[in-house]
Amino acid sequence: MTPVKKHFTPLMQKYPAVRSRIVALALLVSGGAAGVLAAEGPLLAKSNGRPLAADLPVEVAVLTEAPNVPPPITRRHVAKVIVNLEVREVVKRLADGVEYTFWTYGGNVPGSFIRVREGDFVEFHLNNHPTSKVPHNIDLHAVTGPGGGAASSFTAPGHSSRFSFTALNPGLYIYHCATAPVPMHIANGMYGMILVDPKDGLPKVDREFYVMQGEVYTGGRHGEQGLQNFDPMKAEDERPPYVVFNGSVGSLVGDKALQAKVGETIRIYFGVGGPNVTSSFHIIGEIFDTVYVEGGTVAQHHVQTTMVPAGGSTAVEFKVDVPGTFILVDHSLSRAFNKGALGMLKVTGPDSQLIYSGKEVDEVYIGQASDAGFAASKRESELMLQKEKAMASNPQIASITKEIQVERGKKVFLTSCFACHMANGEGLPAVFPPLAGSDFLKADKDRAIKIVTKGLSGPVTVNGKLFNNMMPPQEFSDDQVADVLTFVMNTWGNDFGTVNVNDVKRVRAQNK
Amino acid sequence: MKTTTGILIFSFLAAASAQAVAPATPPCCPAPESKPACCAGPKPATAATAAACCEELKSATPFTGQSLYLLDAKWTDDAGRTVTLGSLRGRPVILALFFASCEYACPVLVSDIQRLRKTLPESLRSQVQVVLVSFDVARDTPAALAAFRARQGLDAGWTLLRGEAVPVQDLAMLLGVKYKQDARGQFSHSNVFTVLNAEGEIAHQHAGLMGDVSEAAKVVAAVIK
Amino acid sequence: MRPTTATALVRCWLRGIGAAAGCALAAAGWAEDRGGDGMVLIPAGEYRPLIRSKDEPERVAVAAFRLDVRPVTNAEFLAFVRAHPQWRRSRVSRLFADPGYLGDWAGELEPGPRAPADAPVVRVSWFAVRAFAQAAGKRLPTTAEWERAAAAGFTQADGASEPGFQSTVLAWLTRPNPEPLPVAGSGRANAFGARDLLSLVWEWVDDFNTSMVTGESRADSGLERTLFCGAGAAGARDPSDFPAFIRAGFRSSVRANYTVPNLGFRCAQTP
Repeated sequence: MTPVKKHFTPLMQKYPAVRSRIVALALLVSGGAAGVLAAEGPLLAKSNGRPLAADLPVEVAVLTEAPNVPPPITRRHVAKVIVNLEVREVVKRLADGVEYTFWTYGGNVPGSFIRVREGDFVEFHLNNHPTSKVPHNIDLHAVTGPGGGAASSFTAPGHSSRFSFTALNPGLYIYHCATAPVPMHIANGMYGMILVDPKDGLPKVDREFYVMQGEVYTGGRHGEQGLQNFDPMKAEDERPPYVVFNGSVGSLVGDKALQAKVGETIRIYFGVGGPNVTSSFHIIGEIFDTVYVEGGTVAQHHVQTTMVPAGGSTAVEFKVDVPGTFILVDHSLSRAFNKGALGMLKVTGPDSQLIYSGKEVDEVYIGQASDAGFAASKRESELMLQKEKAMASNPQIASITKEIQVERGKKVFLTSCFACHMANGEGLPAVFPPLAGSDFLKADKDRAIKIVTKGLSGPVTVNGKLFNNMMPPQEFSDDQVADVLTFVMNTWGNDFGTVNVNDVKRVRAQNK
Repeated sequence: MKTTTGILIFSFLAAASAQAVAPATPPCCPAPESKPACCAGPKPATAATAAACCEELKSATPFTGQSLYLLDAKWTDDAGRTVTLGSLRGRPVILALFFASCEYACPVLVSDIQRLRKTLPESLRSQVQVVLVSFDVARDTPAALAAFRARQGLDAGWTLLRGEAVPVQDLAMLLGVKYKQDARGQFSHSNVFTVLNAEGEIAHQHAGLMGDVSEAAKVVAAVIK
Repeated sequence: MRPTTATALVRCWLRGIGAAAGCALAAAGWAEDRGGDGMVLIPAGEYRPLIRSKDEPERVAVAAFRLDVRPVTNAEFLAFVRAHPQWRRSRVSRLFADPGYLGDWAGELEPGPRAPADAPVVRVSWFAVRAFAQAAGKRLPTTAEWERAAAAGFTQADGASEPGFQSTVLAWLTRPNPEPLPVAGSGRANAFGARDLLSLVWEWVDDFNTSMVTGESRADSGLERTLFCGAGAAGARDPSDFPAFIRAGFRSSVRANYTVPNLGFRCAQTP
């Protein structure tokens, strides 16, 4: 538990929309320009049928690419905000070696983050890039009006549409394409968020981030390489090979992880584009101090996992108290571990042992097994060990075991080793040392294990010749190390003995 | 399948494009590579009618490149008279496509336009001409249109027209109106009316039924002034 | 004017090895038509509308008609604008073509590198392509005719039941347009002998304005009465036929003077 909870103020106090409209009208009728500037609340009030928006100060919305969020709106009056959003169809990375033609708002998935203020008059321009294959439109859940703007923004490639709306309700809202077939447009990446700041602004935090979850229905299975097509059957059956944060596997991992410092307060605007899958949003090792449930007014506190429906959102706030890497997941965990719904928040700064100590003790734990049961298990292990020893000392079994290892090791060698050491084991003169007939290999089995597992750099002499290069450590299992070494020690005329798993374990332990 | 050849629209386009480059050239005087604009029709025009037509048009300033009146198709009104849209030049026109046996939307569209007219001062109202053009090439004879006029109680401020399939399609295309005939012979169609300025250019389009027509009324009033 | 056959072959090859045979023919200037005039006969058959009203039949009869084997090319459209100067870029009225008309051509009478002679002409308005068809003694296909021709698979008259056909169609749909566009007619012929109906560019149809998709696709299954007069729809024939939805949406998104960078056309004829 984080000890200090800071933000108990409701994020979005729902504005009494009807009353504010009357206030706005009164001000405008009596006040002229100054009145307009001071006006609060929605401004779709009409005088002689003309929206008074014409008199408002005009600004162009700052749009940001995830995970960035436009700066909070500091003005305390309504404005006419012009949003220019461009639809582009682009081939982008979905996962390593996997590409997909994404249909985007602004060139990225999710679409550009839009931020306006409660009561603002928004003039929305949807521009469909000339290279687009198909028409698109936009349904903003922040719009009060039929289709959320869908019909008004329906736009052919190489054309542009305009419509306007007043942001009546504060809150965090999804937007998405509503052109048929809608699930395909959304699955291809056509979703994003618009935040309508409440008129008094949001509580100040140190950092704000923008994260959205969505599914991708590729023709190939997860990880299948190359440019993938959309698979309508998988979409219909809701069987996505990918569930991702911010448009691709690994978009928030490594040097792309969200960054923060100990002691900072964080707000994440989290939404689910879908088209189908509800998220169990969770950050491993954090507790949300405040969750604005469904992106609305109700502030819930001390939440572990919050459910965010497709086409819905939430804003979560928390203070980071300790350093480390905190993992963002969809806690419907197959999506995190098998389909990509995983991101990272890296927090740097001083430890706080009182809040989280790190590992203090690691010792054998016997558990509650009954004495009789435990004794039986122990006896079984001893006997198994005896059996292994007996088998190892039997020359016939040893020979068969060696042959099995050689065959297995050959596969490992031909995958990972032959490029340098060559298929004939002779290496490359002056560059890669030979294994065939190598005195260096023959001389020290444990050294060979160490080299495979830890790598080797610097000068070595093999069969009287000097080599000075670098071999990287190999990411092999203990079995693979034993097998590949047994292969190289018993091929090309070599007869240098065998390596078993226990040898590998022992050497690994010595070289930790 | 189309019942007429479509030559008509082609010559109309020829005239329009000629306008765009050389507004000083009378539209009916043939460019070397195109036929006289006003002389085309479903039947080849005779030299005499072409000459008369050219004579008539030379007296007028050419239509602008954006004017719907470049569509020189001949329409028939509910009294059986031949009408061209260009004859409406000089005042605001409210133009809509409809069909007389429409059971729902067209009567509502008519009432929306009535409502718009009522918001105009008497002096302006008389200057506005409402033109309804039928999609229903087969059934909307002048008599059917006359019956519609009677049923709806439409005064002289309303012109009801019928035409051939190709000009109807052309007009719908220019106005961005979608329409489709179903198996019963009824039409699905966009509910749109268009305000044309004195030159026959699109000044405003109003989509939907039973909505706020004040914006359209304002445009009509502005056209008159 | 015409690029060398070798250049065309390279651009063909870029479309994939599967298209190579048709490519070679197209590059050499041959159309694989049966009448020798670049058109194929589409036999009488049926069209199943995607979205229909309650009163509309599930199947609509389509009489036999002739259809261009491939979309009209830049070279062919150039010949048309030479012969009919009123359709040149500088002369056409905005009523009939928006400012993007022939926008990828290098000049008034010069398609240039972005619009190879043998690539399909695009950025042409409905008014312009209808004038082209009339000048050629042809007409534009209707929606029913076009959909009837495009419903054929590569080997079967009904593409929907041909394994792999729908996924090929989807693959085109979800890949960006190549630049410049490939040779018209270099795609694989369908069972009727028509090429590139579903694999090169979108195509105008005569009655595109019968597609009543509002853009608010979720309401279209019950076409809204205040926007469109007409009975409520019986719904979509097959909600999984995504390409058909996209075609209907595309037709609905344009107006007759629009020009679009991946929208071309081909002509039809009544036999």
